[in-house]
Amino acid sequence: MNEAMWALKRICSERDGRLGLTFTIAILAFALLGPLVSPDPNVLDIKARFAAPGLAHLLGTDNLGRDLLARTSVGTRYALTLAVLIVVISSVIGSLIGIVAGIAGGWVDRAVTAVFDIVNAFPPLILAFALIALYGKGSATFVLLVTVVFIPQFGRMARARARTLRNLSFIEAERMLAVHPVTIVVRHYLPNVAGPIIVLASMNLPVVIAFEASLSFLGFGVQPPKSSLGTLIKDGFVSINQSWWPTVTAALVLAVATLGATLLGEALRRVIDPKSAGAR
Amino acid sequence: MTDAITVLGARLRFGETAALESVSVSIPQGACFGIVGESGSGKTTLMRAMLGLQRLDAGEIRILGTPLQQGRAALRQRARVVQPIFQDPAASLSPRSRIRTLMNEVGTVLKEPHAATHERLLVILKRLGLPDSVIDKYPHEISGGQARRVAIARALLVKPSILIADEPTAGLDVSVQGDLLNLLQDIRRAENITLVVISHNLAVVRLIAENAIVMRAGRVVEGGEVGPLFASPRQSYTRELFAAWPSLASNNKGR
Ligand SMILES: Nc1ncnc2c1ncn2[C@@H]1O[C@H](COP(=O)(O)OP(=O)(O)O)[C@@H](O)[C@H]1O
Ligand SMILES: [Mg+2]
Repeated sequence: MNEAMWALKRICSERDGRLGLTFTIAILAFALLGPLVSPDPNVLDIKARFAAPGLAHLLGTDNLGRDLLARTSVGTRYALTLAVLIVVISSVIGSLIGIVAGIAGGWVDRAVTAVFDIVNAFPPLILAFALIALYGKGSATFVLLVTVVFIPQFGRMARARARTLRNLSFIEAERMLAVHPVTIVVRHYLPNVAGPIIVLASMNLPVVIAFEASLSFLGFGVQPPKSSLGTLIKDGFVSINQSWWPTVTAALVLAVATLGATLLGEALRRVIDPKSAGAR
Repeated sequence: MTDAITVLGARLRFGETAALESVSVSIPQGACFGIVGESGSGKTTLMRAMLGLQRLDAGEIRILGTPLQQGRAALRQRARVVQPIFQDPAASLSPRSRIRTLMNEVGTVLKEPHAATHERLLVILKRLGLPDSVIDKYPHEISGGQARRVAIARALLVKPSILIADEPTAGLDVSVQGDLLNLLQDIRRAENITLVVISHNLAVVRLIAENAIVMRAGRVVEGGEVGPLFASPRQSYTRELFAAWPSLASNNKGR
């Protein structure tokens, strides 16, 4: 907890960090509070189709007369939840697989690395298309499949760290004491791998948000009547001649969300992992 | 009596470097044994091989007559017999664990209640001149000297019959080097431990060990009882080593 407070202080001490934090908090507030101050996102009001922003509908309505503030904030909430879920699951699974491969060495390591390489060889979007085509649409499968796409990045980083740690005295000392391998992984590898993994996770958050939006835009992600940023942009885009603000609003939210997360991730990296900050 | 450690024809190469070349050593039980040689002569590699941390290209190692084996059961058995004190003791303490956690791990391995481990730990800490307060600290919160003693304490907590210390006096002030060696010697006598001391400093080995080998470029160039070995070294290399470290030897001649 102390470390978290320390990191927060450091992030606030620089301009990009403050900007990223502000954007992120704004998006979180929008996602959490928006639904409270707006009507049901799925209620149709055919008479008020394509209403301009006004008192009844703060951000106007869409082609079916649904409240856009409600739909955009719920969509944002949905997109953020998916992104966080995907990043958390893939970073935890990736770290564990990577650490085990790094420790084991030999054929286990080679096999895992080969699988990572194969998954990485496909452009993420194409791979996701293929997996969704195989396994069908739906939120649960969606999370699962996108997680698979993002595991290798975390796995490779964790593996590289684990291979370094493996030869350090404190790990060898644990081994010489015959401490249980699970204890060694959980207590002595994980905390020492966590820093760069957290940085990578935060850097990946905007990537996954944009990724989810693209898939939903193309109709492979969230299914109606649920909305995500991608479906909102697409729906707005279809009727852009009648009204331009639905698309622009959703695109703006997407931009602020990814920009905020990117700035915050970069700032976090400069704080936690300064060595790699200049490298990329 | 079986040897504490037997090394037979150990050979190991790192690429072009011959880290160990037909190394054979017999380390008798219950005494202090010295391994001396210039930096890069293969001392640490030999220790890692003895601990099973480094596989050999050829050769055999026996601990109390039992050949080194891989696998968890063998490792658990070995842990109770032989413990290392690594060259950089501060680096041998896991940075994100409290000393208490690291000590309790020993209790868990020994299947001993934590309260009992704690009791024994307090005795060991007192003996090493460490305050009880180190228990609740993280490794980075204690001094380098304390970390060295904490690493020794953790090794002793296992109640090993063999202790291998890599450069135990490295980085220490000459004035306290002798103190640490005497402490190790006292503990060795009291607990009837076989102590293996590795050092590039011939004076250290001469002060504490009964028997020793001299290593150079991965080979054992000579060995035997410390008195005759260093009184009239047959190898010019040993004489050179000796010439490099006269101070501690002459300081401690009277002890
Ligand atoms: N993991 C390793 N990889 C490559 N070379 C190594 C490795 N460990 C040791 N060496 C080399 O083996 C030789 C012996 O090293 P070491 O056993 O550390 O010597 P000492 O402890 O006597 O200073 C040195 O030349 C060293 O560079
Ligand atoms: Mg060494």
